[in-house]
Amino acid sequence: MGKVTSSVLPSIIVFTPWLTLLVAALWARSRPRTSRGLYTAITVATGLLILPMYGIALDGGVVRQHLVRVVPGIDLAFRIDTVGFYFGLLLAVLWIAAGVYSLGYIHERHTRYYCFLALNLSFCLGVAFSANMFTLFIFYELMSLATYPLIIHEETALARRAGLKYLIYSISAGAVILAAVLMQYFYGDTLSFLGHGTLSLAKVSKPVLLTIFSVYMLGFGVKACIMPLHGWVPDAHPAAPAPASALLSGVLLKVGAFGIIRVLYDVFGIKLLRELGVGLPMLYVASFTIIVASLFAIPQTDLKRRLAYSSVAQVSYIILGLFLLSPDGAVGGLLQIAHHAFMKGTLFLCAGIIIHETGKRDIADMEGVGSKLPLTMMAFSIAALAMMGTPATCGFITKWELGLGAIQAHRGYFIVVLLISALLNAVYYLPIVYLAFFKSKETIKFSKRETRPSMLIPTLVCGVMVIVLGIFVTVPGLPYSLVKVVVNAVF
Amino acid sequence: MNLAARQPVLLVAVPLVFAATCPLWGMWKRRICFYWALGGMSVTAFLAWSLIGKVSQKAPLTYNVSGWRPPWGIQIRIDTVGLLLACTITAMSILLLLYSYRYVEKEIPTQRIVYYYTLLLLIFTAMLGCSVTGDLFNFFVFMEIFSITSYALVAISGERRAIRAALKYLLMGATSSLTVLLAISFLYSVTGSLNMVDIGQVLERMGRTSSPYLPVAAAAMIFFIAGFCVKAAVFPVHVWLPEAHSIAPSPVSALLSALVIKMGVLGIIRTLFTVYGRGFSSFSEVWGALATVLSWAAALSIPVAAIMAIMQTDLKVMIAYSSVVHVGYIVLGISVLSVQGFAGGLFNIVAHAMGKGCFFLVAGIIIYKHGFRRIDDLKGLGRSMPVTAGAFAIASLSIVGLPPSAGFIAKWNILYGCLQQSQYIQVVLALFGSMLSAVYCFKVVYYMFFTGSNVGAKMDEGPMTMLIPVTLLAAGTVFFGIFSALLMPTLSNAARVLLAR
Amino acid sequence: MNFSRIFHNLNYVVSALLFLMGLYAVTVKPNIIKKLIGLNIMETSVFLLIVSVGMVDNGVAPIVTEGYRNALEAGRVVNPIPQALILTGIVVAVSTTAVALSLCLRVHEKYGTLNAPEILGRDVL
Repeated sequence: MGKVTSSVLPSIIVFTPWLTLLVAALWARSRPRTSRGLYTAITVATGLLILPMYGIALDGGVVRQHLVRVVPGIDLAFRIDTVGFYFGLLLAVLWIAAGVYSLGYIHERHTRYYCFLALNLSFCLGVAFSANMFTLFIFYELMSLATYPLIIHEETALARRAGLKYLIYSISAGAVILAAVLMQYFYGDTLSFLGHGTLSLAKVSKPVLLTIFSVYMLGFGVKACIMPLHGWVPDAHPAAPAPASALLSGVLLKVGAFGIIRVLYDVFGIKLLRELGVGLPMLYVASFTIIVASLFAIPQTDLKRRLAYSSVAQVSYIILGLFLLSPDGAVGGLLQIAHHAFMKGTLFLCAGIIIHETGKRDIADMEGVGSKLPLTMMAFSIAALAMMGTPATCGFITKWELGLGAIQAHRGYFIVVLLISALLNAVYYLPIVYLAFFKSKETIKFSKRETRPSMLIPTLVCGVMVIVLGIFVTVPGLPYSLVKVVVNAVF
Repeated sequence: MNLAARQPVLLVAVPLVFAATCPLWGMWKRRICFYWALGGMSVTAFLAWSLIGKVSQKAPLTYNVSGWRPPWGIQIRIDTVGLLLACTITAMSILLLLYSYRYVEKEIPTQRIVYYYTLLLLIFTAMLGCSVTGDLFNFFVFMEIFSITSYALVAISGERRAIRAALKYLLMGATSSLTVLLAISFLYSVTGSLNMVDIGQVLERMGRTSSPYLPVAAAAMIFFIAGFCVKAAVFPVHVWLPEAHSIAPSPVSALLSALVIKMGVLGIIRTLFTVYGRGFSSFSEVWGALATVLSWAAALSIPVAAIMAIMQTDLKVMIAYSSVVHVGYIVLGISVLSVQGFAGGLFNIVAHAMGKGCFFLVAGIIIYKHGFRRIDDLKGLGRSMPVTAGAFAIASLSIVGLPPSAGFIAKWNILYGCLQQSQYIQVVLALFGSMLSAVYCFKVVYYMFFTGSNVGAKMDEGPMTMLIPVTLLAAGTVFFGIFSALLMPTLSNAARVLLAR
Repeated sequence: MNFSRIFHNLNYVVSALLFLMGLYAVTVKPNIIKKLIGLNIMETSVFLLIVSVGMVDNGVAPIVTEGYRNALEAGRVVNPIPQALILTGIVVAVSTTAVALSLCLRVHEKYGTLNAPEILGRDVL
């Protein structure tokens, strides 16, 4: 067990992105270009501020900060533990990528877009760093609301409908989570995250615990898009601008999964979950989501919609890994958070470049895109291969760990789910790659101006990360090292 | 003369004197009325706010008017609940007066501006009187003063719908006042006292000796609750509210929604807990049944009124229905009979005052600048009026009850109180209602910020005197959402004392 | 039921009847003026009740004179507070009625009728 330090750093990190609002208020009208540069700089600064906590996190230590007592017994407080640090770092990295990418992609309503992008980062970091369920809930709700302007950014009729659907889903989910938090506080007397479960069968009866658990799953399941709560995802992703979709898929869905992680490890605890016997039903739900969402993805003709269904399936890998309730399964689930973020981030950023450069959204029109946008489509292909679980990519590592976890939990038959999923991934990803590269009549030209560098560079970096994470798995600093610390502490 | 010792009574006397002299200034120069009223309320606010920390529910600050000792004379008795309301009233009064400065010039006939300020001062006086008095009949008199004043204020614009609304309000209000008076006379006939605390003690004695007159006191309790429920606009006797609150001039709407209906809630608290709380054992059946009925009515009102609000096309009518929702929250918190729920209910009095005040004042700015009342007309106002629309967006967090706003803290405590009393259905109803609240609030926010512009994107904000109150109220909802610890422990203590039996 | 008991409590019975009459008028009668009259009847009933509470047969006012001592010993002193209360109550009632009547006047001016359903039927909210 690492040591506990007190610091003001957590709130500095969480509130640094708010500087964007200040910059916007001062220079958005008079110096638009400078201010946009500053927005990105602020995001980078936030990311740099997280890094100093690396050492503490790797030792399993905790950084705490108490902000204010809200209600007697309930505080607004931050607490960065290893899993929080891991998630926060991932947030920052992806946000930097999306921020840089947005410089090229977003052409109108900059101020609103960047302000809400920054607020979203702040709120997501708040979720990652919260010290109790109450703080988490507050930032979770704010994050839900701040995502709305990103989804409807383009203000088309389609985007509006998607935004409305999103709001209905997430506000209902918010009320459900609130009910769960209230019940947890009422029966468990504390909302703090202590690194172990705070509820126990000794104090609370089994039906009540099961109710709390299911209400939590129902609430967080909406963001984590567990079927049948995924309804908003396939609409919101295509409607949002590409960098926002990348963030939605890459991390915002994972905020729901992060909530589930907290419920698992800091509210119930592994031992209690085993006693309650909720692992298996959740595994079935996750498997159902993985397979059915993949099947749904196949007939989609819109590129981004297909990617969205793929995200629904992939996020359930996390759920699957977590609810195997075995150490290796947990490693797989937690790794999937970062790995999928980079894979799906790459894919969405590529989709953005395709839409931006060619205006094509329909998969049937992808013929020959590979010759026009070779670098983009190469990144796309790598990410698609990773999705299928090809060795030497990060997708393989997750699948491997999940498989090990399934065996470890004596539930080896869930490997079948992984295999079917890989197959289905191949069915819906390979045709795109095939169309792009092999149905082309022209030869591939590496033109210097494939697309704006501000868009290409983040995409390629994400693509490279997919391979790096697949090969240099155990290098300290990469997700695996952090995830191991988390899992060792929990099990 | 020792002024400091007379501070409790000055709290009522000062605004009354200012109110009485206001028309005199008006005869000379109309504009002075505004400064006079503002000055008067600033003095009163100082008097009220300087009492913070000197008062608790257990040891209230008392003052015997004209030196008559309590059971006989009128006693001013400032406890935590009273001070909470007094501070809210005085703070809101200054903001509302500031806001009125420009608003009345445009929306109210010139010759009535003097009356407007006079009536405002009078209504503040009466509400302060209600908050601080410890005498039941005195409470009734002050209640009548603010009721009559508010009828007049609703009608002050002279539009025909306003007059109709005022008359409707008057008929329901006067009937409910009479119900309260009837209850007071019942209680007086069996206890021979008008002092709330004294009546409580007498009832306790009567309960111990199982007096034959107890049923009369129980009947009085029912009449009290019935009367005050109309004043507080508890569902289903809220029918007067939407019209009266929406047609009145906006600062008056804000005043009515933020403060005046809370006086009905105060009446419920005073009777149900100060008067009858001590004699609880002898009334347990009727008392418990009343509390249950209240909590159910309140819980039901939350989703029902929210649906009514969703169906509205007029912004102010929508906001008015939202007040019914929040009265539901407050009464639910109070009637659920748990300390935390009660404290949450009290907290929501403040939270709702700020949130709803902000809502109505924003609606007022829009009417002042553009004359828009329909929600569809608000398209793109977020671009031309960023401060106004932004304040609305922030206040709507509080009205919906989303963190980190004061409304959330209130909702949290109220729902927790319901859980403590195993009122699960109420929790579900309230949560469902808050989801519906999100629909009507965010609909407006959506029109303001995320649709094409109706009025052009050029900055075209309201005057400063109107923006400052709106901004302060919006900021207040967030401030009290984060620093709720400034209030909650005090309120919890007050709730503990009131619920102790 | 003892008839004399009702007779001795006639004040209360009448007061209750008046209150119900008034309530009936306020809630059922369509004409606004009649509603207001009903309101006033209700008020009167409450005043009657309060005055009745304070009444003592052959009682004297609590003013310290020679007769007061005897009356005090015989328990025949009238409680002055109810009278003070109704005086205040009357003032309140009169002002409510005044405001109501002036509003009626305006309503009649603007709508041309005093029939409540008809008025409510116009300018639907």
